[in-house]
Amino acid sequence: MTTSLGKRCVAEAVGTFILVFFGAGAAIVTLMLAAGTTPATSFNIGIGALGGLGDWLAIGLAFGIAIAGSIYAFGRISGCHINPAVTIALFATRRLPGRDVVPYIAAQLVGAAAASLLFAWAVGPDAVAIGGLGATTPFPGIGYLQAIVIEAVGTFLLMLVIMGAAVDERATPGFAGLVVGLAVAGIITTIGNLTGASLNPARTFGPFLGDWLLAGQNLWEFFPVYIIGPIVGAVLAAFLYDYLCCE
Amino acid sequence: MKCYYCALEGKDSEAVAICIVCGMGLCMEHAIRKDVDVWEGGYPLPSKRVKTPLPRILCPACYNSLYGK
Repeated sequence: MTTSLGKRCVAEAVGTFILVFFGAGAAIVTLMLAAGTTPATSFNIGIGALGGLGDWLAIGLAFGIAIAGSIYAFGRISGCHINPAVTIALFATRRLPGRDVVPYIAAQLVGAAAASLLFAWAVGPDAVAIGGLGATTPFPGIGYLQAIVIEAVGTFLLMLVIMGAAVDERATPGFAGLVVGLAVAGIITTIGNLTGASLNPARTFGPFLGDWLLAGQNLWEFFPVYIIGPIVGAVLAAFLYDYLCCE
Repeated sequence: MKCYYCALEGKDSEAVAICIVCGMGLCMEHAIRKDVDVWEGGYPLPSKRVKTPLPRILCPACYNSLYGK
């Protein structure tokens, strides 16, 4: 007997809320702190102006710690995917029943949207005008297809870690949350200044919706990057892991 | 094996169970069955409670230590 679908969806929504509020929130605060500084290069949009790659490490750790906390809080209840790409990859490899997929993704999107809107309300107009609500877009010089590939590779590593540290029955129990959080922090540190390192369609949906509703930038043209890339990367990683593990 | 509690009362009862904590022999009257739910799975899939709980026999003293107020 598992927890009811309704309660699992609440867990997914709250987990994604935590991810976006603290993770994207860290990006917003970094941009607000850097406001007024002169970027050294056009490749620098503000994150990195204060501490170089250290800015991205800090944002990555904010995401990672929020994810680890959510996994330890909700992992047993819903599985704590807090990411539609992970949900789809687990469905594709027949680990999650099809009837759970749409409710899970809907809950993740609702949680992400609520986090962005609440952050904007709590911090004020600068969160939208300066911080862009932590929205992810390809950075200067990174094309549309390149961004999709980068997001796919990043999510590929994330899903491989989930498969090896959590799905595999031989994994050491209790470490998955910590390891997945640290993996996300590392991925964000490397590809943050290339695509924003979303790895997660819901994490991008919340800030995009918030910016659009609150008179910020209209960024929906980039949304396919953060749908296609993460889903392709996660599904490939799940199938590869199953292939490597089969006798 | 005899029931420890019955022996304290001067009775001679055969033990039918052993306390899982202290190993004390217990008759049916003094054995306390405290079933434990078993959960399987977990992140990144929801945990499932298996239908049949794990039977667990305790003596009155250990039961009070673990669950008494």
